[in-house]
Amino acid sequence: MPTDIQTLKSLGLFEELTPEELNRVAPIIHPMKVGEGEILTQRGEPATVFYVVLKGNFIISFKDGRAFTLHERGDIIGWSTIVTPFRYTGTAVALTDGEALTLQGDDFLQTIQGESSIGDKIMKKINPIIAERVPYFSRDAARRDLPPAGAE
Amino acid sequence: MTGLEAIAAHNGWAIAAVGVSIVFSGLTMLSIVISQLYKVLDFWERRDEFFQRMKGRGAVEDVPRITVSPDMKETVRQYRMLADRLGKPFSLPRLLDLARKCGLVNPHSTINRLLKQEIIVPDGEGYYHWHQSISS
Repeated sequence: MPTDIQTLKSLGLFEELTPEELNRVAPIIHPMKVGEGEILTQRGEPATVFYVVLKGNFIISFKDGRAFTLHERGDIIGWSTIVTPFRYTGTAVALTDGEALTLQGDDFLQTIQGESSIGDKIMKKINPIIAERVPYFSRDAARRDLPPAGAE
Repeated sequence: MTGLEAIAAHNGWAIAAVGVSIVFSGLTMLSIVISQLYKVLDFWERRDEFFQRMKGRGAVEDVPRITVSPDMKETVRQYRMLADRLGKPFSLPRLLDLARKCGLVNPHSTINRLLKQEIIVPDGEGYYHWHQSISS
């Protein structure tokens, strides 16, 4: 079931889209329920689904044990669906039950590339988020003297 | 009496030795001071940063205490024990993993509660630590 326009308009990612543009993207966006502990993305796997958080709390973890948590409506998960090499950089897990909007990577990419106006507005929102998250997976893990994963 | 004899008779050798010692000691001290001068200059250039850090330390002491509710007391104790095994700061995914392996109930939502109540705090670099001041 596609998402209603009002819900999309209330989210930061889509707030700059015109009603016509929202009508064009709405059919590719679908709500889903998320259960506590559910894995949304797996690091290194092909990035196929993009998520926009509606409700709930999530953790995104990276190779060297770094992580950050998402608690706000409108937070996004899975930007790798629209950025080469189209593989998730982190593992996203739901900390609580929640709800999210999902966009299939192919559809999302096609929309962004096919509709330049929509693409510009969405990428303008996503780019700062990517820039904010890049340090979590690109920093030199060796700088920290932490035990390797699983070394309890 | 002249020459070396006169020098020896009037403690000239000892006086010369003392003089040489004083001069060399002075030169040694001077060279030590010069060799360490860059530290002083470096400190002088970073004096604002240093004073800010000192102020920051004062602020840390003012961190308000967090009171843990009675129902969370045991949870905090359990998770703290696990986190202590991971070092400081610790990795949140590893704590989650460890809690799951230990069979703790609802580790995901529990960690979320600890985060929301700021009992577990991010360090800004992707790792986490316990709030500095937790009281029960």
